[in-house]
Amino acid sequence: MIKTGVTLCQFLILMAVLPLHTALAAEYSAHGIADFRVSYIDSVDKGYLTSGQGKLGLGDGLHFSVAQIGVDLSVAWENGLSAHGVVNAYPKASGDGESTVLGLTEAYLKYRSLPTNSGYRFQTKVGIFYPEISLENNAYAWASKDTLDSSTINTWIGEEIRVVGSEFKVTRLGRMNNNKYDLSLSATAFINNDPAGALLAWHGWTVSNRQTLWTEKRPFPWFPARADGQALAGQADKSDPFLEIDHRVGYHARGEWKLRGKGEISAGYYDNRATPYKVVDGQYGWRTRFYHLGARWRFNKNLSLTAQYLSGDTLMQSKSREDVVNNDYASGFVALHYNWQAIVANKKHKSTLRVEDFSVTDNDDTWGDNNNEQGQSLTLNHSYRLSKPWFLSAEFTLIDSRRPARYYTAQPVDLIEKKWQLAARYFF
Amino acid sequence: MVSHPFLLRSALSHYCIFIASLFFISLASWSVEACSKESTSCVQVQVNNVKNNPLENMVVYLEPLAGQVLPQQSETVSISQHSKSFIPYISVSQSTTKVNFVNKDDITHHIYSADSENKFSFKIRAGKTDSTAQFNHAAEIAMGCNIHDWMSGYLLVVDTPYFAKTDEQGLASFTLNELGKYRVVVWHPQMRAEDNRMIIEKDILTGDTITFTLQQDMNDIPVQKSDEDFDFLSDY
Repeated sequence: MIKTGVTLCQFLILMAVLPLHTALAAEYSAHGIADFRVSYIDSVDKGYLTSGQGKLGLGDGLHFSVAQIGVDLSVAWENGLSAHGVVNAYPKASGDGESTVLGLTEAYLKYRSLPTNSGYRFQTKVGIFYPEISLENNAYAWASKDTLDSSTINTWIGEEIRVVGSEFKVTRLGRMNNNKYDLSLSATAFINNDPAGALLAWHGWTVSNRQTLWTEKRPFPWFPARADGQALAGQADKSDPFLEIDHRVGYHARGEWKLRGKGEISAGYYDNRATPYKVVDGQYGWRTRFYHLGARWRFNKNLSLTAQYLSGDTLMQSKSREDVVNNDYASGFVALHYNWQAIVANKKHKSTLRVEDFSVTDNDDTWGDNNNEQGQSLTLNHSYRLSKPWFLSAEFTLIDSRRPARYYTAQPVDLIEKKWQLAARYFF
Repeated sequence: MVSHPFLLRSALSHYCIFIASLFFISLASWSVEACSKESTSCVQVQVNNVKNNPLENMVVYLEPLAGQVLPQQSETVSISQHSKSFIPYISVSQSTTKVNFVNKDDITHHIYSADSENKFSFKIRAGKTDSTAQFNHAAEIAMGCNIHDWMSGYLLVVDTPYFAKTDEQGLASFTLNELGKYRVVVWHPQMRAEDNRMIIEKDILTGDTITFTLQQDMNDIPVQKSDEDFDFLSDY
């Protein structure tokens, strides 16, 4: 079955109509990715995408898949205004994969001013978009650049963090101030992200390349507190992360310091300001707040680093305002990238080693809903650029986790999962 | 002032062959032919750094101070956008000379100058040439690309046809139509001096060599290169 949101049609109509309202020359473009994979997984029967307890998207066995088809459609005008729509499709993988889905992941208008004489540039973004957090998913259609699967942090961002909002960003360009660094600050006011935190609580940190489509609902594993008469009996079967439940505006703020030719350091804070005891159609508000730190650094022309850390809490209460889920969570990764240009010419080979540590700490007393989790993950990737658009990759992922909630479905609490993947990715 | 009705513009029929080094390009195509000491109206300018070693790619120009009549440059100045950088890094043109911006990349650039007296901006698509920006007065124009922030280039507009960049020996040569008193200026955006320049006013005689020695080290020339080595980034 293919699910398409109404918003996708609306967006395409908008893209077609918008240019009629302007006399300025418009430039249309379509960029994206097609990602073809073979993977072998040693985990449990079902991955988290099909409500299993595995930390990987798919369960045990060999899978053939088109892991992502993503297209970033845009119209850019001469005056700095542009309209963007990102459409992603995740076809069903062979084996136990979830059904094929297709839909919108982002749709926004962006305006970027020219820098002033003193080097300040203003940018605004209005629509459906990702708050600027991920340092991995900066390829077209939010694909991960250096690995096939994102880190636990960014797999979560792709699953539950998306907003309808407006972002305002100021950048001070060092080039125009005789500095070697650029500074930027951004602030976003947003709605429609109130249930964020539910999936992290109920399936924990995960590793995949899947993004939740706009208006899409996502499953999670069964646990006893969902049974009739228990604390979470009123929770819907699937979580709908991009809802506005209480009409309170959330915010995200971020700062970045970028040293030309070397790297950047960033920090940000997200708070959805959701009311934790409000519930609409089985979807609760989750008061989710976290800070995030990021760094990218180039040590020399071959060796570079990407690192992120995210830590926060989430709270969901009953209508009588008693804590039902009260969790702290944290995850961090360090990735080292090596360009083999000294050994193999033409920058065609690149290796990435990523190590992660993640945890969820359950602070409430709700029976039948233990959200505690601890784990580490290791990812090794080697990619070869076959031609300008084609990249061949081999990736190995190892996740060692302890998750007591697996006991509820008779799965091992301590689990080591492994995934081997070969991929051909085409970017355009 | 610079005017800017930005309409796109005659197409380049094909891309130029890839030129490996920015360095060599920056030395290319100078307006005033080198002259030899034997020539009757040849003047040479030598530019040295603080350690007295020759400095290349320094802009040298001569402005008449005694009413000498100046010819008008007829050659078009060409500023390329290639491999997401301005090539050459520094261009010089005589005021009113036609300036072509030539996009040799396969992506769009958004060229701008934010300077309040010489403000302009235009988008230039892959393979296109734009010559709508006009430069009719002497000016020092810092240019950027609003899509690729690391791109940085300069256009120095001067009121004289006598301009050149120094060669590897730090030497720039000029064949003057008339001798007499000139203001000789050395300029570079990274020169640590007032207004990034040094000036000598001199009654120029046949065969003169005028030597400039910088008082301080130069600032670093910005590297026009993305920090990312990936061609399919979404936030361009």
